[in-house]
Amino acid sequence: MIRQLSVFVENTTGSIYQVTSALNEAGINIRAISSFDTPDFGILRLVVDDTARAKEYLTSRGFVVRIHEVIGVELEDRPGSLNALLHTMAENEISINYIYSFIIRNGKAPVMVFSTDGYEKALEALKKESIHIISDDEL
Amino acid sequence: MIWAKEETLPREEIKAIQLAKLQQSVAYIYERVPSYRNRMDEAGVKPEQIRTLDDLRRLPFTYKADFKNNYPMGLFAVDKKELVRYHASSGTTGKPTVVGYTRKDLDVWLNNVARVACMGGATPEDVAQISFGYGTFTGALGLHGGLEKVGASVIPMSSGNTNKQIMFLQDMGVTLLVATPSYALHLGEEIRERGIDPAKDLQVHIGLFGGEGMTEPMRDEMHKVWGEDFLCTQNYGMSELCGPGVAGECDRLTGMHVNEDWFIPEIINPETEEVLPPGERGELVVTALGKEALPLIRYRTGDMTRLMYEPCPCGRTTCRMENISGRADDMLVIRGVNVFPGQIEEVLFKIEEIGPHYEILVERKNRLDVMTITVELVDDRLLDSYSQLSELEKRIKSGLKSQLGLATGIRLVAPHTLQRFEGKARRITDLRKDGL
Repeated sequence: MIRQLSVFVENTTGSIYQVTSALNEAGINIRAISSFDTPDFGILRLVVDDTARAKEYLTSRGFVVRIHEVIGVELEDRPGSLNALLHTMAENEISINYIYSFIIRNGKAPVMVFSTDGYEKALEALKKESIHIISDDEL
Repeated sequence: MIWAKEETLPREEIKAIQLAKLQQSVAYIYERVPSYRNRMDEAGVKPEQIRTLDDLRRLPFTYKADFKNNYPMGLFAVDKKELVRYHASSGTTGKPTVVGYTRKDLDVWLNNVARVACMGGATPEDVAQISFGYGTFTGALGLHGGLEKVGASVIPMSSGNTNKQIMFLQDMGVTLLVATPSYALHLGEEIRERGIDPAKDLQVHIGLFGGEGMTEPMRDEMHKVWGEDFLCTQNYGMSELCGPGVAGECDRLTGMHVNEDWFIPEIINPETEEVLPPGERGELVVTALGKEALPLIRYRTGDMTRLMYEPCPCGRTTCRMENISGRADDMLVIRGVNVFPGQIEEVLFKIEEIGPHYEILVERKNRLDVMTITVELVDDRLLDSYSQLSELEKRIKSGLKSQLGLATGIRLVAPHTLQRFEGKARRITDLRKDGL
């Protein structure tokens, strides 16, 4: 299980930069980031090294921030491993709200992050398939 | 064509009619409308003390808020069974301003609209397309009934659906268009985009415009779009007074002739409330004469204008009011609909997920008014999913739609984005320049 930050951003030039520079000021390291091409406003999703402190700092700077629990899984760097993960999810009828991957992990295997409403069910299904679920301190 | 001889009487005769009707109206309202009787008692004035027209200024004002405080029918002077029609317009907050008409009121009203239609050039030969929205607003049914009195044939088209509007203009040989001036410009441009030249290919040569003011630059544009010979006039009214039919421009375009035998106009300084001399600019205050269902004495219209008493070459002797040059309050006119910031506030304050601060931006895009309201998101729970955020946006929009009867744009921003004000907040930015 990974804790993710969701930050409200307007669809204006520089809005993501405002979030990253606030995190930079606080000395927080970003592990993963994703945003989607929504029309007027959107939600920026981030995984950082100190989630609680990041939320506190961003909130103090006027951002609307929420912490969510999402699932992070470690995939082997070989063809078909992401496909196998998604197969497990589909077979167990677990729908994925959104999915994104980690940027760099210093030579370690890639991590996919996804959000689902069927949280418990997903954990169970992944464990059964022996897919490695990442925790915050493994990042 | 001049519809009624009362439009051409010598000033002394107009004044004699006004005084007789005023005395009758004051006695009538004093007897039948408790809230106004109380106000007269507080001011220490009795109906029999109204001996000259100058005594009018001794009478207390009636305000828009009186409709809210007496909602829905507390200002009515007759029993429900006497009424044959209701209309409603927007109030300063959630509840509409409800007005009613007896059979006689309806007849007086529509005759006054017939006068205004004739001022603007309407004749029994005309085919009139009414492109105002129908419903409880007085504009559409007012012009509809007034033009029928003139003898024109009326097409109750209502607003929107540009393709159908254009089809009827073409196929029915429409000669007269009733609309808001901004919609008429929009429609005219849409027609031109379809390769149709209104001046050559259509028979429309008269425009009767209302619902919002028409500036001179708008009139110039109107001629560019609809042709040089297009006679476009505007008329004035408001549902509290009857609807359209209070005043209208004649073809000399020298201001709107007030139907003075039914309405006494005054101009006051909105702050000091003192009556200003003829020719000075200030807030228009109107006393409606002879109304049965809803008599109104010294109604504060909130519209800023001035009155001109010099005779008009058209033959009418009634005074003329200049184009409305602004508002004494914070009311906005959006696509012909009156909008009070208080109505918007009422909707926004009920939505917990957003903060108490807001900004209203009004622009004119493609000739039509666009209103965008910016609000601050404060509830982080909505960040669970984009659909929740988007649902909030939809909820705000639909709340505003049902309150205002208008579609608005919503901009969600982060907290503390909007400017904070100490004292009076300046929440409205109106970028419409000269109505263009």
